[in-house]
Amino acid sequence: VIRKYFWPICLVGLFLTSVLSQSCDLLYVHLNRVTWQNLKLLSHMSNPFPVECLKEKKAFELPQEILSHTQPVKRHIEEAFYEISSQVFNIFSQHACKSAWDEKHLKQIQIGLHQQVEYLERCLEEEEKERDRETLLNNLKLRRYFNRLGNFLKDKKYSQCAWEIVLVEIRRCV
Amino acid sequence: EKPCTLKITLRNFQSIFSWELKNHSIVPTHYTLWYTIMSKPEGMKMVEGCTNITRPFCDLTDLWNNMHETYIPRVVAFKGNTELVSCVDSIFLPLNMSFDPPDFEIVDSMGHINVIVKFPYNAPKISVDRLRRHLSLVIEQRSEEIVKKHKPKITGNVTGDFVYVLDKLIPNTNYCVSVYFEPKNLRAVIRSPLKCTLLPGLEPESSESAIIGGIVTVFLIATVFISSIVTLKRIGYIYLRYNLPDALVFFLHFVSWIFPEPPPLEAVDTVDVIYINRKKKVRDYNSDDETDSEDETAPRVSAGGYTRHGLITKLLTQASTSLSTSKESQLIDLDVGEDYLSEAEAEPPLVPEPSSGQSECASGPYDRRESELQDPFSEEDNSSTEGSGDRIIFNVNLNSVFVRALDNDDDGDVSPMLPEETVDLENPDEMESSFLIPREEGMPPPFPSTSEEHLESEDAPSEKSDSSESDVDIGDGYVMR
Repeated sequence: VIRKYFWPICLVGLFLTSVLSQSCDLLYVHLNRVTWQNLKLLSHMSNPFPVECLKEKKAFELPQEILSHTQPVKRHIEEAFYEISSQVFNIFSQHACKSAWDEKHLKQIQIGLHQQVEYLERCLEEEEKERDRETLLNNLKLRRYFNRLGNFLKDKKYSQCAWEIVLVEIRRCV
Repeated sequence: EKPCTLKITLRNFQSIFSWELKNHSIVPTHYTLWYTIMSKPEGMKMVEGCTNITRPFCDLTDLWNNMHETYIPRVVAFKGNTELVSCVDSIFLPLNMSFDPPDFEIVDSMGHINVIVKFPYNAPKISVDRLRRHLSLVIEQRSEEIVKKHKPKITGNVTGDFVYVLDKLIPNTNYCVSVYFEPKNLRAVIRSPLKCTLLPGLEPESSESAIIGGIVTVFLIATVFISSIVTLKRIGYIYLRYNLPDALVFFLHFVSWIFPEPPPLEAVDTVDVIYINRKKKVRDYNSDDETDSEDETAPRVSAGGYTRHGLITKLLTQASTSLSTSKESQLIDLDVGEDYLSEAEAEPPLVPEPSSGQSECASGPYDRRESELQDPFSEEDNSSTEGSGDRIIFNVNLNSVFVRALDNDDDGDVSPMLPEETVDLENPDEMESSFLIPREEGMPPPFPSTSEEHLESEDAPSEKSDSSESDVDIGDGYVMR
């Protein structure tokens, strides 16, 4: 059961990039590629969606403006990705022991998330730009969003339906 | 396990949701489609236009246009008012949507192909955005085993026909084209059926001119080659052989043996003609034989280098012989050279073989032949030979005869070129000294010396001396016995 509630790939895959890639220009390309790979894997594990869980679904109010492709500033996207990666990594690490996921898959995701976070940190440090107000605001919104997801799981006591709903919600990050 | 297979496909820029029951034994009469979304706590909503329908698909282009949303469709199959099957699934468009290939046409021209991709004139905006962000248009060009992919960039509004030109193509070659969308999410692609065309070749005039040019080129090359050979031959740089190689000569001989041809009148015998000049000594023969031997004339050399000899065969009917007449006649009728060798057969032609049944008077072919050779071209000889009746005349090519002029030949009856030999006709086995053959210095005599017991002629002493003596080396490799 817990295996079905594997962390959504969008938070994981968004920040899973090739460890060999050190260029920030290739960041987005690698993120996109890895995201799709992880999404396919998790979708195979989570199908079919149980009909009885539909009554427990909830609006988590994902901030759409953060992940909008119309963002003019590239750095804002990078900052958002870094925040999302960190949050997913935290949630994934906290609740991994309560899951029934496959041990091999679990370690792979944790390693990938950790590397992605480190890569994003280096990329942001190279640019040597201070975070502006908009970036800080976006990060705050994302943290609140992920807090809602964590609280939902906690309230539902990490039930099957709760994990299924969270999985579907996190895919929206793509 | 899901009872249905639910699919969402972008077909001609339309989002088509379709379904199929896995159990084909269930045949519903109509279907109804509901759906909901995960981002809002809403219940299932019935899709307008997809209620109580008989077709197994529905156009949801205007409803399912949020790429970040997860849609939860529900398809219910009815038979009458009875619900047969209910299928529910989650659809995440970026992950679950497949893309059918667009319609296209190909128009071939001289050296290139125009690929016309047909896009709808009123394609939904959401579909266009989806195309640019998530898809790549691929035009695949196939020619025999070569596959080439073209990924044209689509800019502006994707409406109407999109034309892409395939150039740098080989004329008179069959090309097949396939157009499809390649998702960026690494999903499997759905290729369109191939459309093939054979590119036209060159203009007829150009092909004819090419043929003419080729003929002229070949002619020029042949002319240059032949003139080069002739020039080199004339200046002496190369020497063309007119003599046939030995292998070809042997082949021709073999063919002539199979298909014998009448020998030309003046043809030179191809066999090795071994000239012998000997004195025959016959015990019971009449004086004619001796006369013949004494009357042996010296060979005359013609202007062409031929030595004229005449052979007079004697019938041995007078002498007692074991041989049959037919054999004698055979010896007479046959060509000299051939018969000469045929009698010798496996034996070296120079070594006589004692034949069974032969009497002492015997019968070797060598014994029967006179040593006198007559020039067939000489009228006098002809006249003289005509009277003989049994004369065989042949030309001897000096180049093929191992002859040598002897400087100290005192025998008047003996040819100045050949040593005199004495043969006992009663003992044809004594062919020890019947032939003059070239011999290398130091080599043993090719013929065994006969015993002296066989010599019984009146001239035996002299002959014995001749025969008892060892081979006389006359120098330069010639041996006289």
